[in-house]
Amino acid sequence: MAMAIDNVFEIDFSCYSTSTTTITTADDDPACTWNDWGSPVVDWGSLSSERDEFQDLIESMMDDGTGFKLSQVDNEMSNSVSVSVSVSSDTMVADDETNGEDFKGLRLVHLLMAAAEALTGATKSLELARVILVRLKELVSPSDGTNMERLAAYFTEALQGLLEGSGGGHSKHLIANGTHHHRDKHHQSDMLAAFQLLQDMSPYVKFGHFTANQAILEAVTHDRRIHIVDYDIMEGIQWASLMQALVSRKEGPPTPHLRITALSRGNNSWRSIGSIQETGRWLVAFAASIGQPFSFHQCKLDSDETFRPSAVKLVRGEALVINCMLHSPHYSHRAPGSVASFLSGAKTLNPRLVTLVEEEVGPIGDGEFMGRFIDSLHHYSAMFDSLEAGFPMQGRARALVERVILGPRITGSLNQIYRTRKEYESGPWWEWLNSVGYKAVNMSFGNHCQAKLLLGLFNDGYRVEELANNRLVLGWNSRRLLSASIWTSPQDSGL
Amino acid sequence: MFQPKKPSTMNSHDRPMCVQGDSGLVLTTDPKPRLRWTVELHERFVDAVTQLGGPDKATPKTIMRVMGVKGLTLYHLKSHLQKFRLGKQPHKELNDQTIKDDLQRNAASSSGMMARSMNEMQMEVQRRLHEQLEVQRHLQLRIEAQGKYMQSMLEKACQTLAGENMAAGGYKGMGNQGIPDIGTMKDLGPLNFPPFQDLNIYGGDQLDLQHNMDRPLLDDFISINDNSCLGKKRPSPYSGSGKSPLIWSDELRLQDLGTAPSCLGPQDDPFKTDQIQLATPNTELDSISEIYDAKPVLSGDGIGEKKFEESPKLERPSPRRAPLQAERMSPMINSGSMSQGRHSSFG
Repeated sequence: MAMAIDNVFEIDFSCYSTSTTTITTADDDPACTWNDWGSPVVDWGSLSSERDEFQDLIESMMDDGTGFKLSQVDNEMSNSVSVSVSVSSDTMVADDETNGEDFKGLRLVHLLMAAAEALTGATKSLELARVILVRLKELVSPSDGTNMERLAAYFTEALQGLLEGSGGGHSKHLIANGTHHHRDKHHQSDMLAAFQLLQDMSPYVKFGHFTANQAILEAVTHDRRIHIVDYDIMEGIQWASLMQALVSRKEGPPTPHLRITALSRGNNSWRSIGSIQETGRWLVAFAASIGQPFSFHQCKLDSDETFRPSAVKLVRGEALVINCMLHSPHYSHRAPGSVASFLSGAKTLNPRLVTLVEEEVGPIGDGEFMGRFIDSLHHYSAMFDSLEAGFPMQGRARALVERVILGPRITGSLNQIYRTRKEYESGPWWEWLNSVGYKAVNMSFGNHCQAKLLLGLFNDGYRVEELANNRLVLGWNSRRLLSASIWTSPQDSGL
Repeated sequence: MFQPKKPSTMNSHDRPMCVQGDSGLVLTTDPKPRLRWTVELHERFVDAVTQLGGPDKATPKTIMRVMGVKGLTLYHLKSHLQKFRLGKQPHKELNDQTIKDDLQRNAASSSGMMARSMNEMQMEVQRRLHEQLEVQRHLQLRIEAQGKYMQSMLEKACQTLAGENMAAGGYKGMGNQGIPDIGTMKDLGPLNFPPFQDLNIYGGDQLDLQHNMDRPLLDDFISINDNSCLGKKRPSPYSGSGKSPLIWSDELRLQDLGTAPSCLGPQDDPFKTDQIQLATPNTELDSISEIYDAKPVLSGDGIGEKKFEESPKLERPSPRRAPLQAERMSPMINSGSMSQGRHSSFG
């Protein structure tokens, strides 16, 4: 069965990257040395002989020749996967060096796609996937090479995880944040360092936090008591700047009381820097240091992470805000069912404001794995590039962030895509909020202004778009990455 | 409140010549002779109105009769009375009315309208500019707040775990795990510290290496630390220096990231190859430290510069990064001016 990846032909990852400083020449290119499929790892003999055609296909994908074209392979074998790929001449750049680089990058992409297809396509072949992944692992490493190569390394890891998981039917047991991987839990110090670096090198974290906070400030201008229910408080840094803004606000009752209820889960996500209790302590201390009246509560989610609105203690006269940070890079993936239970349950609490920050997903076709896989490639490619563009010489720093934060995120993304592709509609959460009855709240001029200023502190490649009256989207070059939207419950008349 | 003289139109300089008629009325000589409401005339007017029981009761006809001024027509009185009535209301409306009258009167009223709408536009622009400045100011404060929080978080994480480790008697172990020598760090110079270079560096000496100045801001967190995280004072795990672990200098702050493992007592081999280990200084190190070098780059729009006058100027390294974070990270930064500014901005 032929798989048409026609729409993929236009993949041009170079559009996300600024000029890179690494240089690969044909001489260095290990591709030149790829010529043996007879490596011990792969025993082609054990595979069906009809695979010869496909073997050629794979080989030619690795081929170092220029302007390669793979002819469509029609294979009657039920187990085979045929890939029809061609590369337009536009992607070949005149310059030899970048030519080699782009070329290699494209090759990696094709391999990744082939592996993904083998893993999940209509004609699955785990064997084939394994083989391709092995080859990929020989080609790329997470710690050196170009952006594309490192990115491919993480995607390879992620696919490997899927492969191992799906082999034994373990997919259900994969933890939502994809930490099932063999790589050890990162040291807290690594986490802290990487988190710090992520914040300093990119606006991803701050964009979500500040946009949400500004909307909250505007919504509670005249309130004395504010209650925020935070879906995923992580280390709590979002609330530092909100508290600062509250103690220094000029309009309305001065220094309103802030109460935060953090949802906690049974299994402490390995990705968080501390436990919820620690976060609470940090927040309490910080609030005390700036004179912000503050109290902190926890609310446990059920074991399946379903949210029960009744578990939240409400106080009369307080302005209720629901804060839902889903996809800033250092956040864990949360099961869609849990998120849905939270957002729909929250509606019954009649919140004054709902802030939602999530990944902005590109066109995903019919929602099948391949489409989302490719979109994911684009997404993280843009992120890697954005870091490099800002800090081209700081490869080590970026490598740390990639290793500790982005890599696991990629794994988590793929896991989520893989596991939910059939069970769940994969549209964005803001669409879902719309459909269940939340009302949009206008994103103010000041908020938009703040976002633009923030991005300006980093790099010109970042941009913010107002895609709806209640939604700002952060993007890198032509790729949209993070969406921040604000809502209110339909019955609310407070605002 | 009621101004006998209207703002712009009754300015004698703008007006053509006035002649005084027999009745004592002052009329202008322009094509459309208009009555000039002198102070005297107006006082008589007010008297008459008062006699008649106030502006609401009085009518132009009755006023005319009472005033008994020759040459005063109903038309004059009508408009004057109207203004008088409005004069009893808030200022703003009067002005609007006045402006409207002016506009109606002016032959070149179109330019008046233009002036007005341009004025509005100007005001709108002003308003937006002002808002933008506010946003800038707030942004700065908010970024700082996140920085403070980050810092306090790092310290507390370190404290807590240092305490735990000590309790577990793991301290000695930590010392043994100290690696890439202090000598390495010395090579880089005191201020040139990439944050994560020290991930695997333990031991007490590192404090001495780095020390430069105390961070006054820390005092805030010190007292908090005493009360919350620690409960009781714990002996410093860094016996090498005489300083309390609570007092980190700027340069040390990011070293926390490096000392954190010492606090945490990593379970597994800290020398895992996939951790960043910088055994020898190389260009990479210097370039990493450059993340936090702020090279002043003038902001494109003048607004940015002006606003940050009172605090460190909006500096952007090339490539850019957040200026306030740069200040916060001053361990990495060689420029003294940065630290200078940082202190003020935290006030």
